[in-house]
Amino acid sequence: MNKSLREKLESTFKNIQVTAVDGNRMVVTAEKRSISAILMSLKEASFDHLALISAVDYIEDNEFELCYIITCYMQDQDSEANDLHIILKTRIARESPDFKTVIDIYPNAEPYEREIHELFGIKFEGHPRLTPLLLEREYEIPPFRKDFDTRKYVKDLFDNIPSVEIEKK
Amino acid sequence: MRELELYFGPQHLGMVGNFSITLKVEGDRILKAAANPGYLHRGFEKLMEYRTWIQNFPLVCRINVVEPDHIEMVYAMAVEKLAQIEVPERAHFIRSIYLELARVQSHLFGLWAYANMLGFDTVAQWAMYHRDLVLDLFEELTGGRVYHIYIWPGGVRRDFPPGFKDKIVNTLHSIGGCVPDYDSTFFNNRLFYERAKEIGKLTQQQAKQWGATGQTLRATGMPYDIRKVEPYAAYDKVDWDVPLREDGDAYSRIWVIRDEMIESVHMIFKLLEVMPEGPVYNRIPNPFKWKIPKGDAYVRCESSRGELGLYMVSGGGDKPYRVHFRTPSYPNGLIILEKLLKNASIADVGNIMISLYVVAPEIDR
Repeated sequence: MNKSLREKLESTFKNIQVTAVDGNRMVVTAEKRSISAILMSLKEASFDHLALISAVDYIEDNEFELCYIITCYMQDQDSEANDLHIILKTRIARESPDFKTVIDIYPNAEPYEREIHELFGIKFEGHPRLTPLLLEREYEIPPFRKDFDTRKYVKDLFDNIPSVEIEKK
Repeated sequence: MRELELYFGPQHLGMVGNFSITLKVEGDRILKAAANPGYLHRGFEKLMEYRTWIQNFPLVCRINVVEPDHIEMVYAMAVEKLAQIEVPERAHFIRSIYLELARVQSHLFGLWAYANMLGFDTVAQWAMYHRDLVLDLFEELTGGRVYHIYIWPGGVRRDFPPGFKDKIVNTLHSIGGCVPDYDSTFFNNRLFYERAKEIGKLTQQQAKQWGATGQTLRATGMPYDIRKVEPYAAYDKVDWDVPLREDGDAYSRIWVIRDEMIESVHMIFKLLEVMPEGPVYNRIPNPFKWKIPKGDAYVRCESSRGELGLYMVSGGGDKPYRVHFRTPSYPNGLIILEKLLKNASIADVGNIMISLYVVAPEIDR
């Protein structure tokens, strides 16, 4: 476990929680407004690989959780950060799903944020290209939210297709 | 000269799945490229939230048609991590051998695609034939040729059948015996050099910045391989090297693929030699009543295209709460491809795309 990094994070930022789950993994929970600063300082501490941005819909808490999974490209054999990965988590309210983009820190965040915008309806302020990525049409409720009713969607979509009438000879 | 908008794809020669690119061209030169995925979006991650832990196995392998095995592996690893299941020693070795066979198979398929795209039809047919020999091995081991559903939480579904070790060795020897033929017809061919050298060039700095992994990154001289960085299965039990190239162009990427195949074959021989005896799986609870405690996990493995990750959240029930795959084609196809196509010529689009190893179903999921 990378102790110095943990101490550094805890001393620089207030209101963050750092937990080490097992040998090579660290979970950092922070407030929405300090995410950019934490990412910036992690990038300086040689965590230069943003592997994934993921969103989870915790509908019972009425919140979305954004997860940034950050690792580092191997630099030298002795570096402690080699096999460590950090999961940076933050919660945002479901009613106002706005967030700030991190493209200026990690340029490869672009498609991940685009996808989350499309599937969860979270807006990323400052993102240059929040256009549809995977889906065919727009939905009232973004489809990966937990309150999206898949059965109703299938029923509405396919029951409205008129049945094929067989020609009588 | 007049600017034109050109719709390239969604069908491409040698490409698995459908993936289109919108190009803005002036004459033969590309001014701007925009990747347009979504033709194969089947909403797997949403579907998985409605199925039990075991029911998801036949689903996950459909995410990538060419190499379903690594996706099975990463899903099994996530379930094992969340439910804290141990895997027996022999199962680790079997998993490694099986995944390396899958890598050989997948690289041969990639070589088919690339050679076909360049017009080396003979080499393409050889690669397809040799891939079929590996699929025969899979058929004997698992019963399926393409989708195997062989890796299971807690181990693998069954042990090697009698005489299977020798069959692996014989098959790999007969494929390996053709390497000089491949070299003289394709890899050392002047035409391949002229066509691929300096095409789609990527510096190490750019590759890191845009999130590249796998041979796209290793072709720029960076020895980043999850099998070395965070060893899983039995990869830390034997010695092996990470093949590298320095130039970062299409030529280097294809050479890395060739070297990796050969390294995988050597690794399989070494693993077969030191493989221990013993059980191949630990029993898991009744799958119909299996509940996994609350928690989340990020696991990763090195697929034949790069870092394959899975972020999975369990809400304490019998189904996953959220699943998100980090597939290696995602940054390759959506970021690097767009950047590399700028100022390229139309004839090189296929060359760049297939040398980046973009697989569309993996992007859309």
